[in-house]
Amino acid sequence: MLLDETARVIRSKNAGPFMLTIDIFFDSDDGYARAKNSHLLKPSGVADAYGLPVEAIKGVWWDDRVRAAKVSMQRWSSSADPFCGDMFGAHLHVPLSRSKL
Amino acid sequence: MNDPEFRILSFVNHIPPTAGIEEHIERAFSWGVDAVVAQGTGSDWGPFWLGSGRQVESDVARNVLPYVRAAHRHGVPFVFSFGIAGGNVHLDKCLADFQRVCAADGLDLEVAVVRSELRPEDLAERVRTGPPVLPAADDPSLAPQLQPDDALAATRLVALIGPEPVQEALRAGADGVITGRALDIGLFMAPAMNAGIPIAVAAHAAKLLECGGLALEPGDSAHCMWARIDRNSVEIRSPNPSARPTVASLVSHGFYERSHPYTEDNPGGTLDLSDVTYTELEDDGIRGIGARWIPAPYTVLVEGARHVGFRSISVLGVRDPALLAQARAWSDAAERQTRARYAQEFASDRAELTTRIFGLDGVLGDLERETAVTGHEAAVIVDVVADSQELADQIGYYAFIRLFIGPYPGRKTTAGNAAAPYMPVIIPVGEVFRFGVYHLLPLDDPCGLFPFVLQRFGTTTTREDKVLSHAAR
Repeated sequence: MLLDETARVIRSKNAGPFMLTIDIFFDSDDGYARAKNSHLLKPSGVADAYGLPVEAIKGVWWDDRVRAAKVSMQRWSSSADPFCGDMFGAHLHVPLSRSKL
Repeated sequence: MNDPEFRILSFVNHIPPTAGIEEHIERAFSWGVDAVVAQGTGSDWGPFWLGSGRQVESDVARNVLPYVRAAHRHGVPFVFSFGIAGGNVHLDKCLADFQRVCAADGLDLEVAVVRSELRPEDLAERVRTGPPVLPAADDPSLAPQLQPDDALAATRLVALIGPEPVQEALRAGADGVITGRALDIGLFMAPAMNAGIPIAVAAHAAKLLECGGLALEPGDSAHCMWARIDRNSVEIRSPNPSARPTVASLVSHGFYERSHPYTEDNPGGTLDLSDVTYTELEDDGIRGIGARWIPAPYTVLVEGARHVGFRSISVLGVRDPALLAQARAWSDAAERQTRARYAQEFASDRAELTTRIFGLDGVLGDLERETAVTGHEAAVIVDVVADSQELADQIGYYAFIRLFIGPYPGRKTTAGNAAAPYMPVIIPVGEVFRFGVYHLLPLDDPCGLFPFVLQRFGTTTTREDKVLSHAAR
């Protein structure tokens, strides 16, 4: 199952100009548990999904209270790149959301 | 109830309010408001605005008017940061608009204005003589330790001032405080800390309040939010009856636009929300308790825009299936031919070129895993950055021509390969910047560089140029 099919909200945004952070919210305990146990939502799984070195993944955190995950990574193309394709970092979730849990 | 207590009405001043906002403001004042606070600066929009001195289109003065009227009528101060990038040029544009709006509305206000732009030579001097100035982000484009030349190379520099200069400005007792670039949460912390609220609770409240109604359910920054803060806790309510805070909305807002879910480094300390708990109150209120503040050496983030060149773009539309099937190869060929034609300019780093294909790799670029266009049409955007606008235009034109007339296998479209929707076919976009400075400047005195100046706005200052000349001093 794709992460996209499990999560209710997957929001991507800059956390400062050089960091990207993706917040993922789940509706059900089942979906949350499946995501939390997945390889995808470990630093190495995120690195694979984006084709980035694992050192670029700053962390994956979980909040059981609101069934949420947070994934933060160094931007591979930031404002330092004159051809940066997404200044707000608002649409960089797809490599993750379209990956299998 | 613990003593002291402080109540804040928050909104975001660069986001236009929705109709009916006056009613929500009045509801908040019926609960009691001690300060009206709204942020209007940020680096989200990138270094272009800071470097170019241009203002993101937003009628800030009109946005704040209903809040300013209410604050003035009730005799409580307002605290705003203005101008997105928040340099002097941006602040002055907003202040001139604010003057016009106040005068037209019959308001007469005294405002403590705090500027946060730094002169490159002043930062260079501090870098030369002071402690190391280290990057605030782990990025290879940033100097591992700022050098005087990095400061001097900046077109414009701003500091994210902390709560302290705002606290000082508030003590002047004016109708309000307006700053340039500032730490969002500092604007909210300042009046609360002046009222005796401990820094940890003030910072926690500020974190929830900084984006106005975005922390509510449903979230919308065009709406306002209200908080009552005491020595231990913060209580959140929505003046708009069609939204309300929930435990989930507040916890998830704590995540928003920050790399770590629970901790955030700020001037003079780290805000730690990992032990915070939220409880539901009667009538749709939520109380949060348990924030901690771990003191650290005082630094302010300095942002500096560095000019890197001039951009030109060209847009071509592709609808023919034969060309769509090989769109990337065709674009790559045009890029190669353009690099060959301008070999010297590319070899000497005077120019850079890329082609994005919307319909294939426009969003993700090299990270895209799809290898062919799957839809029925696509757009190619030629993107050139060069050391002069003229060179960027020339290179863009050559790339456009190669795309427009260049042969490709199986071509039938011999009169022209693509649709050109725009004239001029090469669009000069203008200057390009990057953040050359994104570093933490240690400060012994959080206020010394950022004094306030009292200025009048509204009916007693009838000429706009008077405000501007005052501001320029």
